Amino acid sequence: MIFEWVAKLMGPSPDYPEFWRDYLLSFDEASKKKTPIEKVCFVVLDTETTGLDIKKDRILSIGAVKVQNWQIDLSQRLDCYVQQSYSPVRETVAVHGILPGANGNGVDEIEAVKHFVEYCHNSVLVGHHVAFDITMINQVLKGMIGQKLANKRLDTATLASRVSEKKAYEQPGTFGLDTLCKLYNVPMSDRHTAAGDAFITAMLLMKLLARLKKRGVRTLGGLLNGPSFS
Amino acid sequence: MENTIPRRVYDFLKEFPPFNLLSPDMLMRISERVLVQYRQPDEVIFQQGDAPGSHIYIVREGAVHLLLEQNGQPVLVEQCDEGDVFGIRPLLASESYALTAQVVEESLIYAIDVKGFREALENNPKVAFYLARTYAAGVGKKYRRESKSMLFLDQDKSMEAGFPLVEIQSLEKSKDPVTCLPDTLIREAAGIMSRHHVGSVIVVNKERQPVGIVTDKDLRAKVATGLVSLDKPVTEIMSSPVITVGPNITVADVQIEMVKNRINHLCITEDGTDGTSVMGVLSEHDLMVVQGNNPALLIREVRRCRDGKALRHIRERAEGLLKKYIYQEVAIAFIATVMSEINDELISQTIRLCQEEMDKEGHERPGAEFCWIALGSEGRQEQLLRTDQDNALIFEDVPEEEYKPTKDYFLRLAEKVTRMLNDVGYEYCPGDMMASNPSWCLSLEEWKGQFSKWIFEPSPKAVMFCTIFFDYRPIFGKKELSFQLTEHIFKIIEGQEIFLGFLAKDALQNPPPLTFFRNFVVENSGEHKHEFDIKARAMMPLADAARVLILDAKVGKINNTFRRFEKLAELEPANQELYELAADAYEILMRYRALQGLRNKDSGRFFNPSELSKMERVNLRNCFQPIKELQSLLSTRYQLAYLR
Repeated sequence: MIFEWVAKLMGPSPDYPEFWRDYLLSFDEASKKKTPIEKVCFVVLDTETTGLDIKKDRILSIGAVKVQNWQIDLSQRLDCYVQQSYSPVRETVAVHGILPGANGNGVDEIEAVKHFVEYCHNSVLVGHHVAFDITMINQVLKGMIGQKLANKRLDTATLASRVSEKKAYEQPGTFGLDTLCKLYNVPMSDRHTAAGDAFITAMLLMKLLARLKKRGVRTLGGLLNGPSFS
Repeated sequence: MENTIPRRVYDFLKEFPPFNLLSPDMLMRISERVLVQYRQPDEVIFQQGDAPGSHIYIVREGAVHLLLEQNGQPVLVEQCDEGDVFGIRPLLASESYALTAQVVEESLIYAIDVKGFREALENNPKVAFYLARTYAAGVGKKYRRESKSMLFLDQDKSMEAGFPLVEIQSLEKSKDPVTCLPDTLIREAAGIMSRHHVGSVIVVNKERQPVGIVTDKDLRAKVATGLVSLDKPVTEIMSSPVITVGPNITVADVQIEMVKNRINHLCITEDGTDGTSVMGVLSEHDLMVVQGNNPALLIREVRRCRDGKALRHIRERAEGLLKKYIYQEVAIAFIATVMSEINDELISQTIRLCQEEMDKEGHERPGAEFCWIALGSEGRQEQLLRTDQDNALIFEDVPEEEYKPTKDYFLRLAEKVTRMLNDVGYEYCPGDMMASNPSWCLSLEEWKGQFSKWIFEPSPKAVMFCTIFFDYRPIFGKKELSFQLTEHIFKIIEGQEIFLGFLAKDALQNPPPLTFFRNFVVENSGEHKHEFDIKARAMMPLADAARVLILDAKVGKINNTFRRFEKLAELEPANQELYELAADAYEILMRYRALQGLRNKDSGRFFNPSELSKMERVNLRNCFQPIKELQSLLSTRYQLAYLR
């Protein structure tokens, strides 16, 4: 990636805030394609937002856990509620149950994204339809410092379609998080909190990784390069 | 930082001991530090002999086997499923692992830092006590009374299944209402009632719609007093109209109707009006039986049964009673007594009915009297649920020339009885230990000879028979015959140490329920793979031990295993504690088996340990402790080392 190469060559710009300089520096030891799956640090994340419009909608919470060497250490988790003055759209409240007044002890959006950046550093970002979550975070970063996340990323929906060797569009509805959790015996409790979904997705990730590994996918490169069906 | 994820872990952990014993704060702190591990089949989490690790484990999803390596062979000791804690040794002692934990199904496992948990132990003696009691070898002696009731802590769940007030519908459906047409003469109606052993007859029109009812009270008040002639039609004395109710009525409704109308009988019709046909009749007496709680009534009802179907119905109601008792934690000794009273009465009535049938068929009753004896668990008064029939017949000695016709008669009778018992719901004994088998339908003299042979020439097969036959108990007929047999046995057993040795050795044959560090042994293969055999592994060793010891002590007429142990505790003060533990354990096991049988609608013999609640598992485990101690007592007392 050009970005990484430039970053390495030049070093992070001194104009960046400290958290972002640290973030960029962390890529010095970023996972290489040859890194075995066990060694890779995956940050599995989920966000809850006021809606699906990346331009207008806002982040309500960010949740994430780390998966490394087939385990999730709960003491290393991110569970951040955002204090939004924004008034939510009714249907969204129905889905995740977060009301504007309910985030009394939340942080502001910029703070939340900063926490996330400090948390994930150079890890591989994973989520269920993770592109959306990353875009939402990037929107904030863009407004803040004109930057965006540079991490490698994996989508559990894509991994699942690789595992099942079916194209997602051939089996509509098959790759929803609920369906996959039932299929792979991932214990679900209340869905639809960012942290809760991140946790569930992380358990699903381990099960999917194990299946891909059995098929000979042993390295990060193999995961990233695999055929994408989504 | 919010706690959404640890909260989920918390919600899971709080369902299982020892975590349910922790304070919410403490459990939350532990939940925040849990490692969620993904494990693949065949993966070894720790190996027997490994140095203690830093975590204890609980299965969140999937399955892990705990294996004990013996002579290089791994033996399955326990299967851990959802909610099972394992690898707890590092917490208790700095000893190496005594087992190997191997994943059998793809699993998610919560690993809990020992450091965090030690803290909990120090602050919470209950947890420390629980762990010590459950997992440490040899500490399990003090489980006694206090844990007895804990076995059924989760009974509320079962109670929800509930005892609906409405048992009536099923009750009445199986009972064809006795009816007659309006032009029936009173004389005939009275005959119908006495033939059917009922107190009322419903008068119906041609569409079977009820037009009136004649009860025994009507007969007494109007006919017996001479007010009405026996040769008048029933319409002269019947009460009309009949109070009708629908089939889905509750006991409370019935009571209200009866009180409101000052009547003792209600007629059930298809839609609850007298415009539809009769389905049944409900008397106050029926109501009392339904409200039940009254085994005496049930027993009295047995005598009114005229066929296997009716008897079967009583047996089913008895099962309802059993269920209620079990869930209400009524003392097992009482339940066992009540249930065997009912069983005995059912068997006796069956024999009576079969005798009558023989009479009708023209088989003359022989001069010799007989005694029907129950063997096995029914003999021990331990048959709570319906299990197979095990029975035999002793008849009085007769002159040689009468032997054959006498035996033929009893064999024929036994055949009828066993067939009817099968209809009632006591299945045939697969091993043919039944009175219908010519080998087990013998004269007293022959029985004496048979027992002498078993005792003087002990062989594994003889011992096998003894374990079944020695628990015999007279049920019906001339009980004196069975007492004479018992006397004979005690007389000849004097000085037969070798025989007792054989019997004791047999008592050690059953596979142990637990390994030395107290985990369930499940079946490794076959139809009941992964299931626990509570009969063979836990109950029989106790019953067998009790039998040898009580025979040795020459105490007759006590057949019940826990009563035998109670008696032994009296006789041998030195082993009082062990015998009392054994008696308690046996009661718990009986209760447990009944509960499991009611849950699974079977004999309760096999079940998957994962079906148990954590508490049940732990407490069951605890009551296995006396088995091992009893077996070593037998081993020493009968010097079995050299017999082996």
